[in-house]
Amino acid sequence: MGEFKVHRVRFFNYVPPGIRCVAYNNQSNRLAVSRTDGTVEIYNLSANYFQEKFFPGHESRATEALCWAEGQRLFSAGLNGEILEYDLQALNIKYAMDAFGGPIWSMIASPSGSQLLVGCEDGSVKLFQITPDKIQFERNFDPQKSRVLSLSWHPSGTHIAAGSIDYISVFDVKSGSAIHKMIVDRQYMGVSKRKCIVWGVAFLSDGTVISVDSAGKVQFWDSATGTLVKSHLIANADVQSIAVADQEDSFVVGTAEGTVFHFQLVSVTSNSTEKQWVRTKPFQHHTHDVRTVAHSPTALISGGTDTHLVIRPLMEKVEVKNYDAALRKITFPHRRLISCSRKRQLLLFQFAHHLELWRLGSTAATGKNGDILPLSKNADHLLHLKTKGPENIICSSISPCGSWIAYSTASRVFLYRLNYEHDNISLQRISKMPAFLRSALQILFSEDSTKLFVASNQGSLHIIRLLEGSFKHLHTFQPQSGTVEAMCLLAVSPDGNWLAASGTSAGVHVYNVKHLKLHCTVPAYNFPVTALAIAPNTNNLVIAHSDQQVFEYSIPDKQYTEWSRNVQKQGFHHLWLQRDTPITHISFHPKRPMHILLHDAYMFCIIDKSLPLPNDKTVLYNPLPPTNESDVFRRRTGHAFKISKIYKPLLFMDLLDEGTLVAVERPLDDIIAQLPPPIKKKKFGT
Amino acid sequence: GAAAEPLEEDEEGDDELDDEAPEELTFASAQAEAREEERRVRETVLRDKTLLKEKRKRREELFIEQKVRGKLLPDTILAQLTTASQTDIKKSPGKLKEVNLQKKSEECEKGSNTKKVKVQKVQSVSQKSYVALRLKDQDLRDSRQQAAKAFIHDSLYGPGTKRTTDSFLLVNKFLSLDNKRSPVKKAAAQFLNNAWGVQRKQNAKRFKRRWMVRK
Repeated sequence: MGEFKVHRVRFFNYVPPGIRCVAYNNQSNRLAVSRTDGTVEIYNLSANYFQEKFFPGHESRATEALCWAEGQRLFSAGLNGEILEYDLQALNIKYAMDAFGGPIWSMIASPSGSQLLVGCEDGSVKLFQITPDKIQFERNFDPQKSRVLSLSWHPSGTHIAAGSIDYISVFDVKSGSAIHKMIVDRQYMGVSKRKCIVWGVAFLSDGTVISVDSAGKVQFWDSATGTLVKSHLIANADVQSIAVADQEDSFVVGTAEGTVFHFQLVSVTSNSTEKQWVRTKPFQHHTHDVRTVAHSPTALISGGTDTHLVIRPLMEKVEVKNYDAALRKITFPHRRLISCSRKRQLLLFQFAHHLELWRLGSTAATGKNGDILPLSKNADHLLHLKTKGPENIICSSISPCGSWIAYSTASRVFLYRLNYEHDNISLQRISKMPAFLRSALQILFSEDSTKLFVASNQGSLHIIRLLEGSFKHLHTFQPQSGTVEAMCLLAVSPDGNWLAASGTSAGVHVYNVKHLKLHCTVPAYNFPVTALAIAPNTNNLVIAHSDQQVFEYSIPDKQYTEWSRNVQKQGFHHLWLQRDTPITHISFHPKRPMHILLHDAYMFCIIDKSLPLPNDKTVLYNPLPPTNESDVFRRRTGHAFKISKIYKPLLFMDLLDEGTLVAVERPLDDIIAQLPPPIKKKKFGT
Repeated sequence: GAAAEPLEEDEEGDDELDDEAPEELTFASAQAEAREEERRVRETVLRDKTLLKEKRKRREELFIEQKVRGKLLPDTILAQLTTASQTDIKKSPGKLKEVNLQKKSEECEKGSNTKKVKVQKVQSVSQKSYVALRLKDQDLRDSRQQAAKAFIHDSLYGPGTKRTTDSFLLVNKFLSLDNKRSPVKKAAAQFLNNAWGVQRKQNAKRFKRRWMVRK
């Protein structure tokens, strides 16, 4: 396998933004997640919970509501008073419509999916009609005194419940008038000075309205008479979210203490038909406020300030009790935020509004396996590049020589030239970027740093030649047929001849850069690509998918390699397939063509194609056996997948040179330390 | 983490619980750390507030300036208008309705705030059209958004909410876990507050002494 010196990097101060809203779409089994910085991510729950698409955030957008409407249309609304519609094919925002009600607190789609209802800061409830290409304001409902924080539509579409501060209103949709105003107690059986905020409401078919509020209560109301039926005090802090299953036999609530409660409709006695709502299961998977929950047919989904997305399949709903029924906690990004310049040993870190360039430290010491070597020169923070404007950075890249940095926001692509003189570094911005480069989903430099490849969100691929202080547009590959399934990923061969691009339903396209035409297309696979790389010399394209399959395709031969066919015949080890984080980076060893280096968030692996493949009975994670073991033992346990779990959680791992690796870790504790304060909880023994 | 090295201090009252007592850390050091954190948070909040104040001040000044400037124009225009209208009435009554209110909404780049610009064209005597601009500011929208954000912040993190700004519980959890995971297992960390009940402890000591003497 070889010996490596590993640069263990922990100075990437990555803090993901908290989750604000989730919206589950039953038809496509997809989950839309909006974060506090305005980013909206789309997770494909059938594709191993992979984040296939995302829309970058924006400083002025504080999303407070997210919902799906008919025809897979996604809308969001926030405190800037605008309703946004997202284009899931073009991967941009279609339009923003001001609702003229001030900041919007809540938004729901009608049961038919053809109307949108928003609750605003000024107390108004506005109805919009969804037209084929836009939305149109229809009318206002009766204005309320205080801000409308939560909304729920009766499944028949006739009534609406609106939660506000200290009361809940029930509206008749046809007339738009408020029928009932139900006053919520400020505290469960007590008096309190703090106003009771109704964070969530849910309207059931039988006319029951369930409300959750800041006093920690879950209350059941009868909407026909406007009276309180039952009250449960479930927490000492706010209950901030509620989601009801489609069958209306269970619902889930999230509290500010991080607990998620499952309520189910159960029979009073074993053979009676009378049913009642009972709090059945508590789940404590979060440490901070659970600001949003969703209920899919088989799972409870929750997210909040602690930035984890937790999907808890319900055992009674899962048909096959295999690894699919395990808890999924998505914490780390599903794409690379770090790029590396191997020659100069530089790392470029991508944040939401700035980039950081660091030079790795060095050591003169040597040691044996497992030693920690002292640094003779510390890591250097070379550059802190802030982006202009309120938009988030979508993608960034540094050229292998370290002289060019490029990044893109939703409206512009920026290119910078770096000059290194002794120990100083100077930055020069290339000002006149071509007009057709509006926004890029992925940016990549060629290995010799003379060309820049840009995948734009319109589907086209641009090739730009980089000159000393400027650039020249070489070619644009027009979008190929097929729908956009995921964010485009790019890979270029080290010899500069081949360019691979993934992301469409047609498969991975391989282009000939020298002749500027499409060379071939790897057959489509039904799981999205998570990482892509082309090996030096052999020009084998290695593709990792979200179901943990790895394929090797020979570009010159236009077919899968022998090794890849063998792997497919034998199948991957079951533990390999059960890993729940996607492979985000693949790289190669310049002198060892049989090695493939890849990593996910909790392991890195060197696949040695010359060694035998493991079958399900072999031990997959076999650490190096002690040297005094016999050769026979080593031969029996040795197989192609050399996996190490020493460095985790890994955000990035790459080979710097033949004997050096760099591993960028992000301990979870460092993220938690920078989150907003949680609710104080009394713990036994502290 | 908070305290770098846990301090092993011998306390009188804990002799009998020697083997099982959780590790003792001085409350003072951890409290100092927590106070630092709070001070930093307070300072950033203060800084943000002053920045906002300055912004508002500058805007106010701009408005006052515009108002003063604005007051001058209408008089002169009015004078011209009255003369113009008088002359126009004689010429053609229909042309009086020459005041066009053109609503030109500027379509800014995606992602930036939209401004509505009302352009009012006024016919004057000399047939030169004056253009009076009135910007419907982002201010109203910004202030409402700020108020909304303040509401959310107060409801979740404001006074009355039981939040822990010091990461006592998190730090304690990590220190205790470190102790349990080390090769030599140690007791969980516990933050002690030695400043409580000083009087009660003294009374208890005195009582104990007297009781021993009596025996």
